[in-house]
Amino acid sequence: MSKVAIKLAVNGEMHEIFAEPRKLLSDVLREDLRLTGTHVGCEHGVCGSCTVQVDGAPSRACLIFAIQMQGREITTVEGLTPDEGLSPLQQALHEEHGLQCGFCTPGIITTFDAYLRENPDPSDDEIRKVLSGNLCRCTGYDSIVRAVKRAARMIREGAAE
Amino acid sequence: MSGIKAEDTRRGDFDQIGKPLPRKEDSRLLRGKGTYVDDIDIPGALHVCFVRSPHAHARIAGFDLDEAKAVPGVVAVVTGHEVNDWTNGLRLAPPIEGLQPTEMTTLPVDKVRFHGDLVACVVAIDRYVAEDAAELVQVDYEVLEAVATYDSALADGAPLVDETLPSNLVSHQRFEAGDIARRKQEACRIVEASFAMQRMTHLPMETRGCIAVWDDGRQHLTMHIGSQAPHPMRSALAGRLRLGEHQVTVASPDVGGAFGQKIIVYREEITVAALARHLKRPVRWREDRIENLSASLQARENTVHTRAAVAADGRILSLEAEILEDFGAYCFYPANYLARVIGMILTGPYRIQDYAFEVKIALTNKCGAGPMRAPMAITSLVMDGTLDAVARELDLDPAEVRRVNMLRPSDLPYVMPTGETLEDITPGECFERGLREIDYAAVRKRQAEDRAQQIYRGIGICNVVESTTYGSAFYKAAGIPGSGHEAAWVKIEPSGAIRASAGLMGTGQSYETPFAQAVAEGLGADASQVDILLGNTDIAPYGMGARGSRGATAGGGTLFLTALDLKAKMLDIAAALLGLNSASELDIKGGRVLRHVGGEWIETEFGIADIARTAYLDPLKLPDGMQPGLEMHRAWDPPQMTYSNSTHFCEVTLNPVTGEVGIDRYLIVEDCGTVLNPLVVAGQQQGATVLGIGGVLFEHMIYDASGQNLCGTMADYMIPTATEAPEIEIIAQHTPSKRTPAGIKGMAEGGVMGAIGAVNNAVNDALRPFGVVADRQPLSPDYIRGLLRGKQ
Repeated sequence: MSKVAIKLAVNGEMHEIFAEPRKLLSDVLREDLRLTGTHVGCEHGVCGSCTVQVDGAPSRACLIFAIQMQGREITTVEGLTPDEGLSPLQQALHEEHGLQCGFCTPGIITTFDAYLRENPDPSDDEIRKVLSGNLCRCTGYDSIVRAVKRAARMIREGAAE
Repeated sequence: MSGIKAEDTRRGDFDQIGKPLPRKEDSRLLRGKGTYVDDIDIPGALHVCFVRSPHAHARIAGFDLDEAKAVPGVVAVVTGHEVNDWTNGLRLAPPIEGLQPTEMTTLPVDKVRFHGDLVACVVAIDRYVAEDAAELVQVDYEVLEAVATYDSALADGAPLVDETLPSNLVSHQRFEAGDIARRKQEACRIVEASFAMQRMTHLPMETRGCIAVWDDGRQHLTMHIGSQAPHPMRSALAGRLRLGEHQVTVASPDVGGAFGQKIIVYREEITVAALARHLKRPVRWREDRIENLSASLQARENTVHTRAAVAADGRILSLEAEILEDFGAYCFYPANYLARVIGMILTGPYRIQDYAFEVKIALTNKCGAGPMRAPMAITSLVMDGTLDAVARELDLDPAEVRRVNMLRPSDLPYVMPTGETLEDITPGECFERGLREIDYAAVRKRQAEDRAQQIYRGIGICNVVESTTYGSAFYKAAGIPGSGHEAAWVKIEPSGAIRASAGLMGTGQSYETPFAQAVAEGLGADASQVDILLGNTDIAPYGMGARGSRGATAGGGTLFLTALDLKAKMLDIAAALLGLNSASELDIKGGRVLRHVGGEWIETEFGIADIARTAYLDPLKLPDGMQPGLEMHRAWDPPQMTYSNSTHFCEVTLNPVTGEVGIDRYLIVEDCGTVLNPLVVAGQQQGATVLGIGGVLFEHMIYDASGQNLCGTMADYMIPTATEAPEIEIIAQHTPSKRTPAGIKGMAEGGVMGAIGAVNNAVNDALRPFGVVADRQPLSPDYIRGLLRGKQ
């Protein structure tokens, strides 16, 4: 299969890469753009580790061809990380011990960054429902739920200032 | 919300050990800047794709590789005919009575033994091309009859999985202590019970994978691979590749979970390394999820039948257990390894001296089995489930039956019938504390009231004695090859920067922070100043790796002892700097040298950085005969075994119409001794418990009768999501071990053991009005409905 030019807007920057049309967005992000924070856990859309934002909406990068993403805005965990320190969601996950091996964590950050923008004060049950799209084998989820609640509070209080 | 409490558990003299410090590794992992093996960029690396058997059992009549080799971008296509010439096979023949010796080549050439077994390997310029070409590899199979269950494997005339063995019974041992025949005569009743755990798999979120880099000039292999045990892996790789150990570096980067799946070196990894050496180019492999689900180690699938001779008050007079395990097609571990430990510790926290067990392990045409987080997980279910069976048959309260059998503090230290010694544990205290906490009488009252309304509640209790740290003496006593020691070094650089290393490698267990706390405690420094280096065999000392729950005791304990040795040297230097003859009145805290003067500790002008500068750059000021520099290395072999204990309480509601089980409350009372970092410990307890719950209710690696694996995706092999996982309350107790540095005991598997028992016992309690007992897992709605059919 021959390679074609693909223009991608990722984390606010335009990139042009040459790849086969069948190349997955997850592989292009990781291999061509070296944005290895997007993790590939199953390659069939179940585990949620590869979740990125497409025009702000959480999407599975392993189920999308990169070539489909021309004209869209992709945001990865790297794009949600401030130059210095951590975002409120990252900080809350740190303080609540919401990660262990860390492999699923970028997908959880991209998912809840988007979710908390629309839902600034979610209940535990609402958080668990959304989180059920991201599998974690280490934590048992309690600490992630607590971290999202803490992050929501931090973001609300930050916005109120 | 309950759950992790950032409670400060510092005790007595400890300054750093016991602090709930958030983790050092988080900063890189949260920013997407961790380095997992597939994140490592190796220019020019080739990619492999393995060709695997679609049959459970078949003879390989021939290969046709030409079409695959002709694909542009393909560099090589190899089978066992080449790879087995480049590598040694694996022979497992420890001198254990009743264990059949086994041997396998790196790749099979004559027959395949399970669906997913290796057949060929394609090497290409990228993964897409390698996968394209792998589809073009033609293999002629003559399909053989497969044995897909334990019973069919041991039936008369069953086809042999391993044709070098006399039968599929690969391991068979017996043990007996006391006088069981006599106890049975004294008994008022003989109670029999059965328990079965299904085949499961570890399912780390990161699959396996590796990158082999061969330096043809230095004749040296660097293996980038997520590994729980880098040094044993280096030994194995060197042996299999016919290299000296000095010619191999294993470098484990960040690892996305392992749970026992990333300890041994697999055939795929040896093939990748051999190809790198043969082709003189870097070669990499990223395991696909379907490969992980079908051909990485699987686990459990054991059945235990118990026979208890009991007195009228529920006391167990004697216990017999038959432990059966389906080990799959290949022995990557000695087949007796896992079941043997179940037999050794089965009696748990109960007063039982007349005890026998028999272990029978069968090979089948399924993926090979190995240890998974709590390989002895069925133990507590079997023991407490047997007590529940006794309670049912004698119409006694399950809590009361536990109480009459429970070890009392005055029984400790208690020598179990297998010779294992239990001490510094608090099973009775944890059990009673939990009963009070849940208000057991009230729970029973509500259960009775609700039954009248056709609401079926169940309460399950499981007392766990968790074997955590296996010392060399245990391996010897259990007839299992292995060493339990661990090694560490601690170095302070001329600037005062502190670095330390041990042979363990973390795969999510958060080692970097609690290990830093153990080192800081020993040195008198602050944990934030300590950098922990793990995973690279050229840097870390040779240790036995992360297995069992040995991290805190073996790793933390050895680091603590090493740091204490280094502190002693620092104090001698400090004494010299202060013009004192002896260091007996000096100490170091917070990186500063303190002097005991007039009943008070006074800060001196010196700190660790001053001592380090002197040790390296001004050695003439050192005490006579002292070597310059500040580094210490030591090893430590833990006691035969350390034990933690816990009691799990689970309340469920069973929907008899749908068969669904809902968890209403989950409480753990746990005593794991001195805790290095309570935040990390709570995370391990919660994670282990949810992994256990997944095993009881959902997870099932299904093979059909012909040995076809039916769980090729994560939608087929279901683990708990956030909506199934309950909140978990933990009450922590801290009884230190007298036999370990700082009193550390370890934990991280007891949660699995407790959940498997507590949830199953709770469901059986809820099923009681229907007169049925769930004796195998998973307790799926389908299975529960099957039990209830015709009973309502």
